[in-house]
Amino acid sequence: MKQVIEGSHAVSEAVRLAKVQVMSAYPITPQTHIVEALSEYCADGTMNARFLCVESEHSAMAAVIGASSAGVRTFTATSSQGLALMHELLHWAAAARLPIVMAEVNRALAPGWNIWMDQTDSLAQRDTGWIQLYCEDGQEVLDTTLQAYRLAEAINLPVMVVMDAFFLSHTFEPVDVPDQELVDRFLPPFSPRIEINTSDPFAIGQMAPPNVYMEMRHDIQKAMELVPGIFTGVEQEFTKIFSRTYGPVEKVLCNDAEIIMVVTGTAASTCREVISDLRSKDEKVGMLKLKMFRPFPTDLIREYLGRAKKIAVVDRNFSFGASGIFAQEIRAALCNNNTHPPVFGYIAGLGGRDVTPEILSEIYWKTKNSPILENESVWVGLLD
Amino acid sequence: MAAKQKHAEQIPLFISRSNISTEINKTGSWRFVRPKYHEKTAPCSAACPAGEDIARIEMLSNQGRYSDALKTILLENPFPSVCGRVCFHPCETVCNRAGLDDPVAIHDLERFIGDTADGDELKLTPKKLPENGKTVCIVGAGPSGLSAGYFLSQLGYVCDIYEAQSEPGGILRWGIPGYRLPNAVVASEIRRIINFGVKIICNTPVTQDFLEKAKVRYHAFFIGCGYGRSLKMNIPGENMALDGLEFLNSLRDGKIEPINGTAAVIGGGNTAIDVARSLVRLGAAATLIYRRRKQDMPAFKAEVEMAVKEGVKIKELFSPIRIKEDAGEYVLSLQLMKTSDMKTDGGRVRVIPDGKAIRHLRVQKIFTAIGAEPSASWQFPPGEHTGTLHLSHCTLTGNNPPFLYGGDLTNPIKSVTDAIASGKQAAMAIDIFFNQGRHAVENGLSFCLVGKGPALSMERYMGGKRSVRDSHIVSYGDINIDYFSMAGRVKTASIEVNHRIRSFDEIEATFTISQAMEETRRCFNCGICNACDNCRIFCPEIAVILQDSERRINLDYCKGCGICVFECPRNAMGLEEES
Amino acid sequence: MTRLNIPDVDYMYAGHVGCPGCGATIAMRFALKALGDKTIVVIPACCWGVIAGPYPQSSLKVPILQTAFATAGATASGLRAALDMKGDSETTVMAWAGDGGTFDIGIQALSGAVERNEDIIYVCYDNEAYMNTGVQRSSATPFGTRTTTTPGKGWKKTRKKNMVEILAAHRIPYAATASIAYPEDMIQKFEKALRMKGGTRFLHVFATCPTGWRIPSEMSVKIARLAVQSNVFPLYEVTDGVDYTINIKGYRPASDYLKVQGRFKHLTDEDFEQIQNMVDEDWGVLLLKTSRSQKS
Repeated sequence: MKQVIEGSHAVSEAVRLAKVQVMSAYPITPQTHIVEALSEYCADGTMNARFLCVESEHSAMAAVIGASSAGVRTFTATSSQGLALMHELLHWAAAARLPIVMAEVNRALAPGWNIWMDQTDSLAQRDTGWIQLYCEDGQEVLDTTLQAYRLAEAINLPVMVVMDAFFLSHTFEPVDVPDQELVDRFLPPFSPRIEINTSDPFAIGQMAPPNVYMEMRHDIQKAMELVPGIFTGVEQEFTKIFSRTYGPVEKVLCNDAEIIMVVTGTAASTCREVISDLRSKDEKVGMLKLKMFRPFPTDLIREYLGRAKKIAVVDRNFSFGASGIFAQEIRAALCNNNTHPPVFGYIAGLGGRDVTPEILSEIYWKTKNSPILENESVWVGLLD
Repeated sequence: MAAKQKHAEQIPLFISRSNISTEINKTGSWRFVRPKYHEKTAPCSAACPAGEDIARIEMLSNQGRYSDALKTILLENPFPSVCGRVCFHPCETVCNRAGLDDPVAIHDLERFIGDTADGDELKLTPKKLPENGKTVCIVGAGPSGLSAGYFLSQLGYVCDIYEAQSEPGGILRWGIPGYRLPNAVVASEIRRIINFGVKIICNTPVTQDFLEKAKVRYHAFFIGCGYGRSLKMNIPGENMALDGLEFLNSLRDGKIEPINGTAAVIGGGNTAIDVARSLVRLGAAATLIYRRRKQDMPAFKAEVEMAVKEGVKIKELFSPIRIKEDAGEYVLSLQLMKTSDMKTDGGRVRVIPDGKAIRHLRVQKIFTAIGAEPSASWQFPPGEHTGTLHLSHCTLTGNNPPFLYGGDLTNPIKSVTDAIASGKQAAMAIDIFFNQGRHAVENGLSFCLVGKGPALSMERYMGGKRSVRDSHIVSYGDINIDYFSMAGRVKTASIEVNHRIRSFDEIEATFTISQAMEETRRCFNCGICNACDNCRIFCPEIAVILQDSERRINLDYCKGCGICVFECPRNAMGLEEES
Repeated sequence: MTRLNIPDVDYMYAGHVGCPGCGATIAMRFALKALGDKTIVVIPACCWGVIAGPYPQSSLKVPILQTAFATAGATASGLRAALDMKGDSETTVMAWAGDGGTFDIGIQALSGAVERNEDIIYVCYDNEAYMNTGVQRSSATPFGTRTTTTPGKGWKKTRKKNMVEILAAHRIPYAATASIAYPEDMIQKFEKALRMKGGTRFLHVFATCPTGWRIPSEMSVKIARLAVQSNVFPLYEVTDGVDYTINIKGYRPASDYLKVQGRFKHLTDEDFEQIQNMVDEDWGVLLLKTSRSQKS
């Protein structure tokens, strides 16, 4: 049923529909509305679940790791500092191969304190082994959260569902909140592969000496390599029931584009408008919305971006001493391709700064009019 | 549909998940020292002249296994109820428990076991070897002769004991008063020996002539006839004094008549004390006269104290010089004595007359008990010369047949338990003599010593479990005191002094079962395993295994940390270097 | 003959890699004897993380969930929640952490779990330093100790934290100290903790470390006993954070305990006196609290 709800509640509705059993979280703006809604659902019995109000994000992740190890469906949510604090355990959850789903609200890292949109927090965790899926709007958030459970439980890897702080989390949009019965058709009860129990005792997390550690790590990558295929299958089933689809990437007018703009999150919505406007002025421009960041869709990037003349990547994040992170990964993907058009990296919208149509337009024109790259990264919209 | 699909596929899922037991690691290879169960000798058992396995006896009693405890005593001593009343308990003097609070009441406990344990007696006496066709002639059915008969019988010899008196027992039956040793107790324990297969022929005094003739019938002889003749004072008027030994004999024969007035008893040994205390019970006021100091008296200290409590007066440092009669009474003249710096050959303090000081004591009766000696010349054991083997508790002479002298005739300490030790030693000596030859006797006996000896163990002689026990004597410092808390010694109930002296009834009661349990709990069980399970409980490697009530170390896993040995409360374990 | 109050069953295997004389392994043996096989043990980084056995081995017959250093309290909470949601009220969750994972890096998660009154048994086996990483000091290291991070003249000049008191202030339903030298007492306390389902139970177990304390391995249990006998590590229980019961009253001077350990070898008679005063002071406070409990 279509409801006008904020992005946070798109998450909480999905978690409710997924019949999650154990949740644990620590409040941090702008994730708070998610956990507050879930707490209410637990208190009034809407959800048959336990919500552990832990004393830090590190403990929140530890708690869901503990719960997931016993074979129940789990959920947590965080942002920024909280995600950073969890870092050690993000590695742990992935290497322990636990199908945890986490809602991550992209928020700037301190100091100075900044509660607004910035992608550096989630991208700084790209090495941890979590699947990362970036969402553009409330509907996508709800749908992706449901799909995340199917995906996580199919491959035993944790999934991070990422959304913009405030632009998505606190923005009200019409969202189709499906009926429980439909969701049950899509998402059956959890059937865990890892389930610690006293009837068949085993130990998990033992010391792994050099003769086995590398093989265990290799299996994580082998599982990651299966993700795109599984995701496609999951989406197909989702589409059959809900008639919506997203894809690991979405290409808009890329086939004959000379310049392709790569965007993620809510900026993708803005970009659609800018592309449309530019096309009306006969500019050969296209947009690639990147949803799946981990595993990185190298094949699709090569296929969809390889034919363009120039690539303009919009990064609302930065890896200091290097470049914008999406740009970095796209450059790496194109490096060994037959064709590797120059990748122009643009840094915009950090710390809650808006990415306006004007900024995206500026990025297009800069890309078109620059014969070569002046810098690896161009910071757009600076006020100094 | 979707759920089945998930697990139909195998996904790469190699994680650190374990369920193989660590038992595949044989951590025993870490070891450089190795623990072992290594029982050692308790000091009490080494001090006991009969070498009883006391630590084990108390352990069994504490477990409620009174029959097994009695069985263990009977391996080394056929007279538990007797010794539990008359032994001077050297075991208690060396008891390690004294280091914490009081020595264990071993003496009272032996009496308890002897009196209490029931069950088929034939099952409790030791297993006998088959008869070997040899016979032994034993002279005197006192404690040494009876013990010799008991142990020889166990070893397969047929024994005849010749006894001059009308009933067997020697000093047990005819010397020690009833308040110390009731007749019924003596009779019961002698009956056990008779049932064991020893023949006693009473009313048959042995002469030298008899012995000569008996040489053709018997393969060996044991002379245990004790001291039958009292020593003389050699003072004027001696004939007016009564013989203490004869007096005790007649009391034991049932001739109990009251004696009024005062009586003097001359002497300082156990016999003198027995006479004095008996006189008190007959109504007399008794005074003991001893030529040395009270602390020099050879009588057992406990006996002297009991006598004093019962009203016996002791005049020390007085020596009788003359007895005169005067108007139906006796006047005993006593020379005052004093100690000198020199000592006698025996190491006792020397006393000399203190000037011309003389006291006179007027009494109704005078008794002498200054010592005794064998009553016939053939009873004296031979002195040191070639051909004679002087063992700690008997003397072996002759070859065909061998003659052994034992009991009071040879023992430096004239006690019942030493007499029993004598009989045992003689039995073992005879057996080694016949099996291996005279030359092997001393060496053969040395393997049976308890601790450093001189006590011998028949169980060791027979190759029982005790034969592997280490002779190292456990000291107080060897005990892990952490496992014991202070607890006072349990005291038996006893008749109040004023009631005591009205009859010849036993003064102390036997322990009750609960008293025995409380007291045996105090025993450290020095050097032997009492299955307390500390070793098994504390082992970090779970490498102590209990199988069929026996503990052993699982050497596959033992890392040699030594906790088991250190936490053994009673030093029943040891560590040795890993080879 | 076996001891009546000590269950004659083990849920631990031989062949583990604990040092000879390791008190922590003795502690686990006793704990599991009391708790039985319906137990899942949560182990953060500590000596037991290694003693649990490298892949593919396990030294316990019950399941183990190893977890990151700081997280014992939180992981155990999550595990408990999951078991409850599955309808399993029989299985006990026991967090088994060292002093580091309890007093220092793990204190936050423990405090959180206790404040939420999670239905778990949290056990700290205390060998008074970071032993697994080579004997560095923790806040459980007592005053006077030399460790590799408090070496030489820099021996630890601050007192040991009192974790039982910290948790008593949380109004924890049950907190108690226990010692490997007193097996019956320890097992009884674990059995009591097992029965008190529904809230958090904390057991502070004194676990000798011969390696780190520089004592011969055979004295492992003896040292633990000396600690109790000298009131350095008193055995007591606190119920609901206010009712105190002392189990054993000590009588020895603290120096009896200190002078037989290499880690205290450098202490002088003045130091012994100072330590004795601290022990007496703490003991005095404990006596006060106990007498106050008895009055109410």
